[in-house]
Amino acid sequence: MVTKTEETELNRLEIQVDNGGGGAWEYLCLVRKLKVRRSDKVLKHGLSILNDPKKRSNLGPEEWTLYEQVAVAAMDCQCLDVAKDCIKVLQKRFPESKRVGRLEGMLLESKGSWAEAEKAYSSLLEENPFDQVVLKRRVAMAKAQGNMSGAIEWLNKYLETFMADHDAWRELAEIYVSLQMYKQAAYCYEELILSQPTLPLYHLAYAEVLYTLGGLENLQTAKKYYASTIDLTGGKNTRALFGICLCTSAIGQLTKGRNKEEKESPELHSLAATALEKIYKQRAPTKLPLLNSALKGLKI
Amino acid sequence: MAEDLVLDTAIRDWVLIPLSVVMVLIGVLRYFVSKLMRSSQVPDSKIVREGQVIVRARNLRAAANYIPAKSFRARKVYFNNEENGLLHVPKGQAQNAQAQMFSDPNMAMDMMKKNLSMIIPQTLTFAWVNFFFSGFVAAKIPFPLTQRFRSMLQNGIDLSTVDVSYVSSRSWYFLNLFGLRGLFSLILGEENATDDTQRMMQMSGFGVDPTKSLGAEKDSLDIVQHEWALPKFEQRAEAVLRKLVS
Repeated sequence: MVTKTEETELNRLEIQVDNGGGGAWEYLCLVRKLKVRRSDKVLKHGLSILNDPKKRSNLGPEEWTLYEQVAVAAMDCQCLDVAKDCIKVLQKRFPESKRVGRLEGMLLESKGSWAEAEKAYSSLLEENPFDQVVLKRRVAMAKAQGNMSGAIEWLNKYLETFMADHDAWRELAEIYVSLQMYKQAAYCYEELILSQPTLPLYHLAYAEVLYTLGGLENLQTAKKYYASTIDLTGGKNTRALFGICLCTSAIGQLTKGRNKEEKESPELHSLAATALEKIYKQRAPTKLPLLNSALKGLKI
Repeated sequence: MAEDLVLDTAIRDWVLIPLSVVMVLIGVLRYFVSKLMRSSQVPDSKIVREGQVIVRARNLRAAANYIPAKSFRARKVYFNNEENGLLHVPKGQAQNAQAQMFSDPNMAMDMMKKNLSMIIPQTLTFAWVNFFFSGFVAAKIPFPLTQRFRSMLQNGIDLSTVDVSYVSSRSWYFLNLFGLRGLFSLILGEENATDDTQRMMQMSGFGVDPTKSLGAEKDSLDIVQHEWALPKFEQRAEAVLRKLVS
């Protein structure tokens, strides 16, 4: 996760570097450390260092890390020639290296020659069947080809071994949601909540999946998770506020006519509605009538 | 001791400085030797998996109250059932694991390499120091110390009357052995420093049965009481919103 201070630092450095204020290497280091994806900037500033022999030799052994970083960024920007050059240099320096082998596989992948990339990856896996990066690349490859069921299969295989990897769980959850397999997605989000119980985003996503699944029990649970999202975000998440309203109205429709004994928090939805109104009044006053009519449509 | 011992400057030139220099050189040499001998080790699938299972079970135990009761029960059964639960270790296998570890030639080879790069130079230098410099008072630290430091600073001198601030040569060797880590991380780069203390910890950690931790995790998961925390959140959310609205 990128914290707020880290992000402001990164943005400050980016502006500084963009305006020619130096500090390109620090910026690249920070990008690498935070694992953020700013490929165009990395490509531009990384190349400017690599093309300057003096600056490059100043880096010492870090030079090779930079080559790798630039190669990956170049592939992301589809500058395949640059990537190819970088990989060539790396290969000259580190023949037989698996890390370079990985890059070659990625280059094949970015060219779209899937079969060859697959071949490269499987030969890498033969040497080390637990190379997490290569296993993940396989998933990404299946996904890039639009082969979602393949991606799910690879991911499940990966998670069988590396079951504590929450990023993989998240990816799987998102794939399931995109395929409308909500029950499976719910399981994945539960797993994510378990690994990071204080992250409101997972609570929110779980609530949304449950709401989509429908049914009284699921809706009630969804409402609770929307509530926890509100608690964890301090009521700033409009999505969760809308969710509370929607859940309450859906529950009201389902239990209409029935003798209702639940009513644990009768006030929550009205509070959520007022909070929404307040937020809209502050941030987007022009949209306020829209909100009001939408809320009226939900009236319980 | 009322008056100070005067140390010969030759001791400084021929004991104190050479000892430190030799220790540094040996550290550097050892780093390169171990780098030469290091084999890239493919981690065993079972061990990787077990570690991950334990992390996941621990997460489940710690955050159990954040998922609905039904989901928790399903997971508990998944981890703990007696047939094919992830944490369940069949009885016969528990003993095997250790024997297997020792019979694995790769493991033994690795151990030997570690030993070679750690114990042999250490014994040799210790013998060398002991042989040439035993019984020296090699240095004096510029501040007084209590008697408790005697065993640390005056190893090899059995005189109770010498002031504690004098350091014997053998103790100087030990101080160097454990104190040069900072210097190594400067010379060899941050992660490359040969950290003896850490390695010793690793050595003593070897031989712990991984299946045991699985069993322990299973037991603690068995006794977890599930109490769903989410209903409480509704009230809390209400309080938060009330504050926000007002």
